[in-house]
Amino acid sequence: MFQNRTEALALALPAAVFAALVFVVPVVLLLSEGFKSADQWTLSAYVDFFSQSLNRTVFLRTLKLGALVTLAAAVIGYATAYAIVSLPPGAKGKMIGLVVLPLMISPVARTYAWIVILGRTGIVNQALMAVGLTDEPFRILFTETAVFIGLLQLFLPLMVISLISALENLPRDAVPAARVLGANWFQVFWKVILPLTREGLVVGGTLVFTGSMTAYITPAILGGSKVLMLETLLYQQVTVANNFVSASVIAFILIVMSFAANILLKRIATARNRT
Amino acid sequence: MNKLFYLSAAALALAAGSAQAQDKTLTISVYAFAQDEFKEIVYDPFEAQCGCKLVVETGNSVERLAKMEANKANPVIDMAVVSMADALSAARSDLTETIDTSKLSNYDKLYDIAKDPNGDGMSVGYTFYATSIAYRTDKVKIESWADLLKDDVVSHVAFPNVTTNQGPPALYMLGQALGADTPDLKAAIEAVGEKKDEIVTFYVKSSQLVQLMQQEEIWAAPIGRFSWAPFTKLDLPIGWATPKEGQTGGMNVMILAKGSKNQDLAHEFMDFWLSTEVQTKLAEALVDSPANSEVVVSDEVAGNITYGEETAKSLKLIPSDVALDNRDAWLSEWNAKVGQ
Repeated sequence: MFQNRTEALALALPAAVFAALVFVVPVVLLLSEGFKSADQWTLSAYVDFFSQSLNRTVFLRTLKLGALVTLAAAVIGYATAYAIVSLPPGAKGKMIGLVVLPLMISPVARTYAWIVILGRTGIVNQALMAVGLTDEPFRILFTETAVFIGLLQLFLPLMVISLISALENLPRDAVPAARVLGANWFQVFWKVILPLTREGLVVGGTLVFTGSMTAYITPAILGGSKVLMLETLLYQQVTVANNFVSASVIAFILIVMSFAANILLKRIATARNRT
Repeated sequence: MNKLFYLSAAALALAAGSAQAQDKTLTISVYAFAQDEFKEIVYDPFEAQCGCKLVVETGNSVERLAKMEANKANPVIDMAVVSMADALSAARSDLTETIDTSKLSNYDKLYDIAKDPNGDGMSVGYTFYATSIAYRTDKVKIESWADLLKDDVVSHVAFPNVTTNQGPPALYMLGQALGADTPDLKAAIEAVGEKKDEIVTFYVKSSQLVQLMQQEEIWAAPIGRFSWAPFTKLDLPIGWATPKEGQTGGMNVMILAKGSKNQDLAHEFMDFWLSTEVQTKLAEALVDSPANSEVVVSDEVAGNITYGEETAKSLKLIPSDVALDNRDAWLSEWNAKVGQ
């Protein structure tokens, strides 16, 4: 497209300088706090962090909820995306619009709605009691379940959209061909659909996992301080304890976990492809 | 011609006057809440009175104290308002100066507890609040702080997190009710820890409680009087408990930054804020309960704030040195017993 590389680089320069100045430099400065102690480079802040059992619990809980939300989003996302892709064009457009709609509503409003829905007098408990599944309302709010539901609802659309675009690139004959050759639906999914849509799964999975790990509003409102996650702990460290070193440690852990999730998902996808 | 001359002279004088006024600047550091009301009732009228410029910095107390510490050598802030314990912390870090109460014409009008809360002459209380329990009178009976942990109540209780301003006072009173009145709050934290799975939530923001009360998620919660008003607007039978151990609470105070170059102006501002007129207006706007004993308000306003000499005398406040010396221990005890 360009006559020479210099021209292309010159065009990219303003964006690169902007990103370096307002993003890379501050992030490096912030993260370096966690590796310094009295002007010496050290890992002691990380050792301190993981030596406290509360921090370990919070770390594992964040990892667990992130993984569970990603897994649930993938399962529900594939079913939804496949159903939408199979629709005629007009209906498909409308359904995609419906999937995207929640993304246009502020997460604060969406999360507050969950307080009403999941409460003791909310529709979930009312329905459970109406069908006789329980006499007493269940406690859902301020539990890991509430945070899981909130995060799943928040990030599921990202997975569905990624999988729709991947499924649309799936050759039209692939699934019928596999069926004709005697594969059952599970084999069709495992051997045909999954390998051919792995890019969508990697993109969607990374978005959902990273989003779940770094979302603040949902765990803060639906979990409160009974279900501390790394991001709510980070906020507490800054605003209550004024402990920027510990906050920097948490920020670094979150960044590493996001990259690790991306690499891991890519590995899983390519490994499936080879079989 | 003459007219024109006088007009120009007047304009010139005005310009000079305002230029001079702009030279006088007072920088204050306050809580971020109700700033619209403060601007209207305190800041704007004071600027008009002193002919000076007021620079207002806001934030939570941790941030603001950290900033004062960072600028210790060359202070930016002239005066600040903080909690009693934070005032003692600032005094210990050598960030504050003794307040010259002879420059405060309204000082004698203050309730005794507000006069020199930390006993070091470094702070003056400008507002205080009671902390007690808001509860559903048709569902539960609260006569003691220990009632919060009763089997039929505890699963409908929101308890303040230890990191909030209401946390330690509530634990302090719970300890008294349990007969263990020690500054480490160990017994109270342990008792809460034993029931942590049953307690609905450990709240951080009191604004959330109104919705939880409305949804019948909770029936009782220890709160500060300043967050009481919205509960009275719910169409539910909600009462303000008067536990037999008494009510607790907190006080916010004014401090003078060490090395401030505008000490006279800072004193003038403090005196203005403590005046009967300003304190009455702040009370009527339900912003701050008055520390000035001459403030008179209607029964309706009085019902929504912490008001009157009897109330002021009955509050069991945690002494600042106890709060300060134990804060870290409370947090680690809480994290060990309740936080996970």
